[in-house]
Amino acid sequence: MELFLPIAHMDVNIVLILLYGALVGFLSGLVGVGGGFLITPLLIFTGVPPIVAVSSGAAQMAGTASGASYLHWRQGNIDFKMGLILLIGSWLGGGFGVYLAKVLLRLGQFGNVVVFLYVILLGFIGVSMLIESLQAVFRAGAPHAGDTHAMAASKSLLRTWGERLPWQTAFPASGVRMSAAGPLVLGATVGILTSLMGVGGGFIMVPVMIYVLKMPTKNVVGTSLFQLLFTTAAVSVMQAGVNHSVDPFLALILILGSVLGTKLGARLGARLPAEKLRLILALVVVAVAVKMVVTLVVPPSDIYDMTVEVR
Amino acid sequence: MTRWLRCLFLVSGWMLPFPSWADEPLVVAPEPSQVNITTGFTGADLKAVGAMSGPGDLIIKLAGPQQEVTLSRETKLGPFWVGGDTVKMEGAPSLLFLYATAPIASILSPAEQEKYGLLLEGVPVRVEPQLKAHAADDWRKAFFRLKEKQGYYHEDDRAIRVFGNRLFIADMRLPADLQIGTYTVETLLVKSGKVDGHTVGNFKVRLSGIERRVWNAAHDYPWSFGGLFTLAAMVLGFVLNAIPYRRR
Repeated sequence: MELFLPIAHMDVNIVLILLYGALVGFLSGLVGVGGGFLITPLLIFTGVPPIVAVSSGAAQMAGTASGASYLHWRQGNIDFKMGLILLIGSWLGGGFGVYLAKVLLRLGQFGNVVVFLYVILLGFIGVSMLIESLQAVFRAGAPHAGDTHAMAASKSLLRTWGERLPWQTAFPASGVRMSAAGPLVLGATVGILTSLMGVGGGFIMVPVMIYVLKMPTKNVVGTSLFQLLFTTAAVSVMQAGVNHSVDPFLALILILGSVLGTKLGARLGARLPAEKLRLILALVVVAVAVKMVVTLVVPPSDIYDMTVEVR
Repeated sequence: MTRWLRCLFLVSGWMLPFPSWADEPLVVAPEPSQVNITTGFTGADLKAVGAMSGPGDLIIKLAGPQQEVTLSRETKLGPFWVGGDTVKMEGAPSLLFLYATAPIASILSPAEQEKYGLLLEGVPVRVEPQLKAHAADDWRKAFFRLKEKQGYYHEDDRAIRVFGNRLFIADMRLPADLQIGTYTVETLLVKSGKVDGHTVGNFKVRLSGIERRVWNAAHDYPWSFGGLFTLAAMVLGFVLNAIPYRRR
């Protein structure tokens, strides 16, 4: 079953794109990440131009995150003050990122930057998660005294550093007090990543909110989703406005697939222990990173490549 | 098959009332005259049906509209292969299919092939920015190699079927990712190494239906399109995700 994509200007197999959406949705339901870090490379491997893959992925995440955010809002899991500051940061970062994408496209470096950012981020996060989850699985969650000591030391260092920053603000919904610069910078970093890579940044945002901003876990997921919804929506609008690169058919099929996948993933996720779920996520992330490293290291079959400017 | 026979019948029927057809060495009708890219488009089959004045060889040149492409060259940076220089190339057809009843090199001299643009690697292509001759030549060679590798430039000496040295049908398969615009179909009748007849026809490739509307909206009103589509995606996600849970 083929469908012609008007913006990507190519035909794709609908079932394949539905499967991509379902796979990402499945992981999202299973381990609670947006899955943008998977969808962009999958689409690029299929032959979708990188800029269309990134932009349509952002539109898909806005769609998928809207339903999930609504559920968290009803359960009172969203820290709106924190979410708003993250959002302001990520919109600023996102806007900068879209223009950066345009400059890189003009220089012909967009593909390079996207691939390198992916490899570095996926490699770092994947390996960290893999080590952490393997330790958790084999030691059944019993931490070593040395690790706890080191973690406490680094935490106190961060706290001292954080307390010196200006704009100290209370966040009553999460029960924390910190400088507004923290979530602003975090939001801006994630916004740039969303524009350049089509990722929502959940896999960076969630660990930073838990370990650095020290928010309660239930608020982290809801607030992260709230931020993800509005960041990806803004990036999707900006990519369509500046680069004309959101393919509506591609995004809609991905949303349909991801809704089905999310439900399956959530059902399975409820039955598996947390450390095994983290291990699954870590393995997936590392596998994607390894695949990308291989494409960077193995000599290309042809050193020349051709991109059509306008169809 | 019946469609083919009908085509043959039509061509022969068209010729009968006009005995002077024999004065024309070559008569060709490309079919269809327009290719519409719609939702389920996976490529198109094009036929050139025609008649010729007697035994001879045929060459059909199908050329797409000119296309601007960017070529990039990967370079080695430490252990990694990364994107290096890029150049723009303009003026060459997006697609170039050469069909013939025998290998073109065996029926026409190189000079004649060049005159009629029948060399796959001989079409004019501009390299921007202006590079030194040998550097531009490397990029030009890469351009033709990639076009041939991706199947946009190719030669086929088996696609034309000739019936009784008079009638012929050429089957041409066009890929899905066609450049929008006007395509030309040039047909040459070759006798004893010389071009005896030459006709030029054309057909259009355009987006149609919802594909056209979406493309126009995305390019003519990019911000409104982006805003409305993103909103629609959010509403769809909300409806599909949230409402089923609410009912439980």
